[in-house]
Amino acid sequence: MQIIIQVLINGIAVGAVYALIATGFSVIFNILKFSNFSHGALMTMSAFIGYFVVKATGWPLVPVILCSMLAGGTIAVMGEFVAFRRITKRNTSPIYFFVASITLGTLFEGIVNTWVGANFFAYPAFFKNSTVTIGSFVISTSDLIMLLFASAVLLLLTYVIQKTKMGRALRSVSFDRDTAYLMGINVTRTIQFAFFISGSLAGISGVFLGINYTLTTSLGSLVVKGFIASVIGGLGSMSGAVIGAVLLGLLETLLTFFLGTGYKEVFTFLIMLIFLLVRPQGIAGSNVQEKA
Amino acid sequence: MSALFVMILTKSLITVIAVTGVYVLTGLTGMFSLGQAAFMAIGAYVSGICVVKFGIPFPFAIIIAILAAVLVGMIVGLPTVRLRRDYISLITLGFGEAFTALLNKLTKFTGGAAGFYGIPKKVDLLVVAVSAVICIALVALFKNSKYGRQCIAVKSDELAAKAMGINVPRIKLTAFLFSVALTAYSGCMYAFYVTYVDPSLFGWKRSADWVIMVFFGGVNSLSGSVFSSFLLTGLPEALRSFAQYRYIVYAILVLIIINFKPNGLFGEFELTPKGISKAVKKLKVKLGSKKGGTDNAA
Repeated sequence: MQIIIQVLINGIAVGAVYALIATGFSVIFNILKFSNFSHGALMTMSAFIGYFVVKATGWPLVPVILCSMLAGGTIAVMGEFVAFRRITKRNTSPIYFFVASITLGTLFEGIVNTWVGANFFAYPAFFKNSTVTIGSFVISTSDLIMLLFASAVLLLLTYVIQKTKMGRALRSVSFDRDTAYLMGINVTRTIQFAFFISGSLAGISGVFLGINYTLTTSLGSLVVKGFIASVIGGLGSMSGAVIGAVLLGLLETLLTFFLGTGYKEVFTFLIMLIFLLVRPQGIAGSNVQEKA
Repeated sequence: MSALFVMILTKSLITVIAVTGVYVLTGLTGMFSLGQAAFMAIGAYVSGICVVKFGIPFPFAIIIAILAAVLVGMIVGLPTVRLRRDYISLITLGFGEAFTALLNKLTKFTGGAAGFYGIPKKVDLLVVAVSAVICIALVALFKNSKYGRQCIAVKSDELAAKAMGINVPRIKLTAFLFSVALTAYSGCMYAFYVTYVDPSLFGWKRSADWVIMVFFGGVNSLSGSVFSSFLLTGLPEALRSFAQYRYIVYAILVLIIINFKPNGLFGEFELTPKGISKAVKKLKVKLGSKKGGTDNAA
């Protein structure tokens, strides 16, 4: 029994990181209505920036994450300027966003590849004790930190989006860009803000993934988990994405625990397929319809 | 012709076959598949295993491989064609990753991450070139058929297409399965030309590259897609001397095209007698108006 609970806690921690990826992805999906495929490469890039900050300064985890967030956000805003600004202004079919985001991802990955090459890197150990004992449970410290940090960030994000002026602007631009513009909202700045949020979320998730796995240039492919989580949760819904991500993390760890590793990707795909057959609108049920 | 040149040409032609498939899906129907390379993998592995492990003759192996890919495509496609078009790119992405993981795991059949060796070399430049021409012709016929026109209608406006009585999910599925079949065929060609395949060849980056090729050449132009798949497969090879930067150069080039010439290099232009005469007429009008302008100024 005890081991099951530990597996569950691990699953929730994994799910929390997936939730960060999925929310970062759905912020952009909400505002510009396209799937941002450069998110994974951005994760890789900011994870490497975090790594080199640690190497250069030896700072503890939290400042490193903040640096990586800042870097991710800045790069995302620059990426928006380079790849998406003209397409937003032209206001044509969202398919151009899609292709531009794939290309931007290729560009990021190319830059990381020329920068670090195909080597393996590992973050230094941030914690003295690799496990924490609470009562009779032994939890890995990185899991605990991941869980706490991710929850804090998600709560902060909810506050920003629901209560602040900028968050309200974000929601109204997501709802209807033209009307928001007519109401005097600076649409361009709001979109930049959304990209900054998405990029900083990519920064955090990149560092956490780098701690959990080895740091390579293909780290960004884990973004698939975030995509799957947001499909399970319902595309375009942020709370749905979080629920979907935690559920996915739990299912994945449990299935791995009972059936062994290796088939993990196959499981996650099957989970997604079953969800689409049974409840295509996702858990949250906000099925964004394509505008005619 | 040097051996290297023949190899690059053959590989480009194999890419052309796959890209004709992606053109049907992306260019005609407006759907994106980021797991298309996995269907190429199905073609390559199934035909290879059929020939090597079961001794089935090559042509039958190709047919089995294409059927297998279409069957899998049906499983992936059925739940997604009713939904918003974003879903198909996410689902196929998940499928592609899952499938490569499976290939890595089923070591007994596929050789795992080390790859699948010892496929006999059955195709050469001629076979690939003839196949490419046939595939291009098939897609051109498809584009001008009832189905192709329905696909274009679905791409431009799904709601209007539905109102006109087009069965949207069905036409989406048709386009998806047709493109899967073409891609699987290119996988067969690849396996029996290179004689070696491994799972890392079929990641989502390859599928993304194909989508980029279709857009680069012009979403509405089959000739554009074919041309750009030649160019963009050849370009990284030609830039090999500064290999490090080739993907950066490539990405910047594509970003420029998408931002400044969203219809791609070719736009609507098709390399047919009719298309050429149209283009020439346009050019004449353009030159004529320029001349008129200078006359007025004088």
